[in-house]
Amino acid sequence: MRTSRRARAGQYAALLAYLVFLAFPFLWLVSTAFKPPRELASLHPTWLPRDPTLDNFRQAFDEQPLLRAAANSLVAAVGAALIAVLIATPMAYVMARHRTRLAKAATGWVVVSQAFPFVLVIIPLFLVLKNLRLIDSVGGLVMVYVVWALPFALWMLVGYVRAVPAELEEAAAVDGAGRLRTLVSIIAPLLAPGIVATGLFAFISAWNEFFFALVLLKTPEKQTLPVVLTHFLGAEGVADLGPLAAAAFLATLPSLVVFALIQKRITGGMLAGAVKS
Amino acid sequence: MRTRWSAAAVAGLLLVAGAGCSGDGGDGSRDGRITLRFQSLAWQKESVDVNKELVREWNAAHPKVRVEYVQGSWDSVHDQLLTSFEGGEAPDVVHDASDDLADFAYGGYLADLRGLLSERLRSDIPERSWETTTFGDGVYGVPFLQEPRVLIANAEWLEESGVRIPTPREPWSWSEFRAVTAELADGDGKYGVAWPLKEPVSATLNLSLSAGGRLFHRGDDGKVRIRFEEGDAVVPRTIRDQVNADASAPDSTLGSGGSDTLPGFFGGKYAMVPLGFSYRQQIVQQAPKGFRWRVLPAPAGADGLAQGVSPQTLSVAQDSPHKEEAAAFIDFLLRPRNMVRLALGDWMLPTGTRGAVRAGVSRVEGQGGDAGAPGVLQRGDRTERAQATPDDGRKPGPEPLPEVTVRWAGGASSSAGPLWPVAQFPAPLKSRGYRPDERQGRSPVFQGRGELRDQPPPGRTRKATAGQLG
Repeated sequence: MRTSRRARAGQYAALLAYLVFLAFPFLWLVSTAFKPPRELASLHPTWLPRDPTLDNFRQAFDEQPLLRAAANSLVAAVGAALIAVLIATPMAYVMARHRTRLAKAATGWVVVSQAFPFVLVIIPLFLVLKNLRLIDSVGGLVMVYVVWALPFALWMLVGYVRAVPAELEEAAAVDGAGRLRTLVSIIAPLLAPGIVATGLFAFISAWNEFFFALVLLKTPEKQTLPVVLTHFLGAEGVADLGPLAAAAFLATLPSLVVFALIQKRITGGMLAGAVKS
Repeated sequence: MRTRWSAAAVAGLLLVAGAGCSGDGGDGSRDGRITLRFQSLAWQKESVDVNKELVREWNAAHPKVRVEYVQGSWDSVHDQLLTSFEGGEAPDVVHDASDDLADFAYGGYLADLRGLLSERLRSDIPERSWETTTFGDGVYGVPFLQEPRVLIANAEWLEESGVRIPTPREPWSWSEFRAVTAELADGDGKYGVAWPLKEPVSATLNLSLSAGGRLFHRGDDGKVRIRFEEGDAVVPRTIRDQVNADASAPDSTLGSGGSDTLPGFFGGKYAMVPLGFSYRQQIVQQAPKGFRWRVLPAPAGADGLAQGVSPQTLSVAQDSPHKEEAAAFIDFLLRPRNMVRLALGDWMLPTGTRGAVRAGVSRVEGQGGDAGAPGVLQRGDRTERAQATPDDGRKPGPEPLPEVTVRWAGGASSSAGPLWPVAQFPAPLKSRGYRPDERQGRSPVFQGRGELRDQPPPGRTRKATAGQLG
């Protein structure tokens, strides 16, 4: 069935509108980051700053330790992503290949765990970590992020594992490969896009996470970027808008860069095996 | 094989966990020295700088009691503190606001400060401010900064209109305010006032105190009943009439926050905006060059300029092993001169006006002139630049910062702009709605973000407090 030119134009227009809708907050953030205070309070705001300035960035770096906070965030997010993937991959393999009661229970746990809000678990979690002497430690925070990301990571990876034909494993077994060899040499390479996507999910959720970091880290030198960003916010929603926008813009860059670098692999992985060729 | 994988995962976790162990689980005592943790919610640069300076000054003078400055955040502070209290890891000295203290006080997380505070501090702060942090028989926080609502007005617009300019001594009545806004509006996109009512409960109930509003009435049986009476209706009715009958206030700002109304204010759409006192900083930073504005007292009703306020507070954690030292640190932070420094840093008003008066502060002056007018501290015949002015060694910012003026006794009083005589403002804070003989049973609490809820434990009541201007 061929699509008419008009329909095609409509599709592109809709796509463009959707892109604008998605990009609007980010573009506004960028615009705000370069505006001087007086332009921020202008009755007729403009997309492009009339008098662009880097003062907001200067002020943001002067007032808050953004680089140190970004380094802390990076350690927490990369650590959480790596560990979550390391744990979730074999778990997902088992859950996908062995449909036992335990696997079903684990699937149920994954679904239920998504229903718990932060505030419900934070006090018990705090007490557990305190007993482990992991309060005020980036390592403790990484552990929390891993646990928090694990259910969804598992859920994602199970789908990827199921998409890998079991016949490949049987062929490997015929050739004498053990379970570990099969997992490492056969399944893992085929799962690479899924693993990357899962790792990215864990990375971004940890990179953006605020509340656990706020509660669990006490020493200012250990605070992560989202926590430091709130130092530009006052009571009742009053904000130092320019520096906040500048710092928030910088905070979004790592996620954007990571996405830009690996988006092809993600979409490739999602589509792989979708149809028989 | 399975076992090996599990072992590897657990080992990995423990490795990371072990690497991150801080090993800090003590009570803060090291080598005979006491370490107190002070969590401050200061967020504006001037305020953070003043807090850190004061901590440095304390540490220099008290080598055996070291204070660590911990930067907190107003965002999620309640949940963060609650978790820390529950986990026994709370800071020794806690910065918060009085409307947030009830849960912590009743939960047993905060130390009763009676007996810990000096008589000087007790007497510096008016009793009505203390009532905001009194729960049951205990005092669980020291109220030190407060922010009344004021009218920020376009000075030029007001002067050209010829309306009477209100003063703290002769404020507008609510009906006069309505008439003035109707006169200022032109019916064609220019309004006399813009009401930012993102937090409508907080704004209207607190301002309603001026008109004798009370809303909550305790009966002889000790139960609280809600009655919406004439005094409660004055403020909401004025706003409704301004929006619907007079078209002197736009309906578009009714869901906005205070900052959202500033572009329209600067752009000449609104003659006045009712905002918190500290918004003056944003106005100084963002007002167009040459824009003249001034601070006016909020309208008065049957009860004068009374209005509800929720002061910022300093408390001591119940679990702190060094309560006396923590209280001594609070006492140091809130010495009259230091309290004024904190107030200037936060663009708010100190509660400890009696001490300030004794220390020589005669007036706290609101910004009344053009945006960017430099602030000065005047003491005797000496004039000092306010600490926020760019002559403190820092590179001057893009906008002039200070404008609150503190006049010390002996200094020449300025005729420019409204003056807030310290003897009258904010000293005569008065409590309304919940009088001492009514501290029985369950009592409603106004939360900072406009929620209303009941006090959990019977027999303890907190105060809704009214500040009085002029």
